[in-house]
Amino acid sequence: MVKIASPVMRNDVLLDIATFLARRWSGNDKVVIILMPDKPPTAKLDKNQIILSLLNYYPGTDFQKYRQWRVALWFESMRMKHSSKVLSNEHAFGFLLNTLETKRIEILGLREWEGMANELMFNEGISWMSRQLLNSIYGRYKIAEAFSQYFLTGYLKGELFGGEFDKVKKAADYANEIIKEAIDNNYGTNWMEQHIPKLIKILELDSLVSIPLLSPRTRVGASLNQNDMLKQVEKVVQMRHKKDDVQKKTKDVYEGQDVLQEFEALLTESKRTESKGYESLENFGLSVPDKMDVDETQIYDIDLIQKVKAAFRDWKTGWIERHDESGDEFDVETYVEALPKTFIADFRLSIKTKVVILLDHSSSIADVELEYKQATIALCEALHYLGIKFAVYAFSTDKQQVKCWVIKPPNIKWSVVSARRLVQIRASGGTPLAEVYGLLLPMLKSFKPDIFVTLTDGEPSDFDAVRQMVLSYRKMAIHMMAIGVGRNLNDSVGIGHNLKYLDYEKAISVSRLQDIPKKVIKLLRSS
Amino acid sequence: MESPPVASKLDQEEIIYLDWNNAFDILEKAYRSGLFVLIIGPKGTGKTSLVRRFASEMKKELDSVNFSLRTRESHLVGSKTLNEGEINFVEGVLVKSMRNGTLLYLDELNAAEADVLLRLDEALDDRRQLVLKEAEGQIVKATDDWFVIATINPLSHVGTKELPPQLLSRFPVRIRLDYPPEDIELDIVSRHVTIDDSKVRDVKHAIQLAKSLREAAAVEELYYSPSIRETIAFAKMLNTGLSGRRTAEVVYANAYDQWGQVEYQKVMDMITSIFGDR
Repeated sequence: MVKIASPVMRNDVLLDIATFLARRWSGNDKVVIILMPDKPPTAKLDKNQIILSLLNYYPGTDFQKYRQWRVALWFESMRMKHSSKVLSNEHAFGFLLNTLETKRIEILGLREWEGMANELMFNEGISWMSRQLLNSIYGRYKIAEAFSQYFLTGYLKGELFGGEFDKVKKAADYANEIIKEAIDNNYGTNWMEQHIPKLIKILELDSLVSIPLLSPRTRVGASLNQNDMLKQVEKVVQMRHKKDDVQKKTKDVYEGQDVLQEFEALLTESKRTESKGYESLENFGLSVPDKMDVDETQIYDIDLIQKVKAAFRDWKTGWIERHDESGDEFDVETYVEALPKTFIADFRLSIKTKVVILLDHSSSIADVELEYKQATIALCEALHYLGIKFAVYAFSTDKQQVKCWVIKPPNIKWSVVSARRLVQIRASGGTPLAEVYGLLLPMLKSFKPDIFVTLTDGEPSDFDAVRQMVLSYRKMAIHMMAIGVGRNLNDSVGIGHNLKYLDYEKAISVSRLQDIPKKVIKLLRSS
Repeated sequence: MESPPVASKLDQEEIIYLDWNNAFDILEKAYRSGLFVLIIGPKGTGKTSLVRRFASEMKKELDSVNFSLRTRESHLVGSKTLNEGEINFVEGVLVKSMRNGTLLYLDELNAAEADVLLRLDEALDDRRQLVLKEAEGQIVKATDDWFVIATINPLSHVGTKELPPQLLSRFPVRIRLDYPPEDIELDIVSRHVTIDDSKVRDVKHAIQLAKSLREAAAVEELYYSPSIRETIAFAKMLNTGLSGRRTAEVVYANAYDQWGQVEYQKVMDMITSIFGDR
């Protein structure tokens, strides 16, 4: 089951917006977001991955959690864009380099995304609450934490003794000089890294001193006092916003109206998808693929998607044009003959049809799995583009048990989340089609699709039972169609025969997987 | 029958076009070599302005056809009409352009139906002639200085089809016209709208926003890609006293509401992170 981040916000909704924002902010279309509980935000530059925690990682109200999460996403996107290396935070060397980089990318990032300034102020205010009190640190990393606080915000939480503050101040001055030079001369991470040893020397640290990583929520506990936080935000605003209207600005920054609407829209979307929620699905014997750390980009064949969409452009406009000759002939025969086809008739084509697609993931699909998934994605993208209401299910055998997977329920919009669900299903096992039809029956009784398309290898393990089920679906006025997926022409012909015997209303088979989307959409059109 | 509204002579007044990628030079060289040109690019990148400007510089009369699903063969070639009991053949824009040696501009060629394109193909092959089966098999030969420029939108645009390969080969010189870099776009906008110094920042922001949205549309994350026209509209609305953020909402974000609240909010988030305060 998918874990729920907060009582209301759904992870797949978060994933959708995070993917969009990270790609736009970083200017990198390949960025993949991975949500992992209690994992500090990290960018894996070589893999184009941004790892984000769930909202519960942060303290505060649900909205405040979202704002911090969004700022973390922005920082990681900036790291993706402006850094060439991200070291582990667990040792002093990496911790210091990342701290310096945080400031450098913030300056560079704000040049392009200056609207983030308010949110960064808010984030600084609230994250101060979870910063460690220096007096309470006894380990050798105290001075590293003190440096990070002073360098990033300009002040310290707690006190330092015995000349430690001088070291911190000297190191911060040096770090600021480095940052300035890097920005002025457009130097990158590698150049910054060369200066870390000197910084370590100033701080009299050991580069291998380990730095404990704690989630902000753990540090601040459940008792985040909103008044204290407001005061902290005001302090940040006073330092950063060098204008008179501090109070008004503080109010704006604290309330975050600009992001509030977005948060509310995401909540509404979460509730919408929740109402016919996943909880109930399990009762029907359906499962939701729940890994949030898979890369769906491999099954996106943009070229194929574009082609399929282009092929059905006329559907999008809602008009299909047919050139018929009509009207009564009049006398001057030659005149009529010489004319091009004169009269045009327009037919409005309805795409109100509701469609369910069932994908066979039995072992016979295994050797063409990738192309099969790419074709399916192209089909779904096209259906979504055409504004057709549809649902997608898949089945496979997992640990000798038939699993019917929910890829896209009818009430959820098609997005990368559904693609992510599809990519993690492994083709295995037989084709227990009748059993799967049985599992889907209660769901489909409520969705009432007009058309049910099954993509299959055409060799169900239970022929007669399938025929029975097909007939019972047909009795519910659902048009049953099947597309046989063959590996070559001979194979397809055989599958075609099988499908005919199974009493589908329409059955075709394909040997070129890339044809699947067009064939399915044409089937829908002709029905 | 519909009258042919597609053919029009474009006026020759001062046309604003900034030749930022030297397309003009290529056009001129192709013209001198008698090679027809195909311009490929998304909508609102200044294809039409480029061609109009070229015609005006070359002092060539311009005949243009804007193709759509409804463009018929008869619009191009001509049709017979019954006038006071007599049947006359009224020539279409293609035939006129061939006879008069004008610059024929075929806009959004890939929006047309295949049968329309077939007829065009006949005129564009090396013989540069057209047999008018509509007018007793008369043969129309193009003058030597007849020149054709066609444009197509990339396939991702609504209503576009793949151009048949034989027709593609009739346009051996191809120019790709994409959205200009940000500083050039600012230059283009400032040629259309006077931008006050205090508003330059907002217009730059709008250009950045448009660029982001175009990138998202190119990878199918959004369903609409704003053109330079929108940036010009933004600058105009800004001049009426609206704030930058509010103008961005009405010019850019609201269009995405048709694909749902979340899509709209994605664009609003871009606006928030670029423009900031209300």
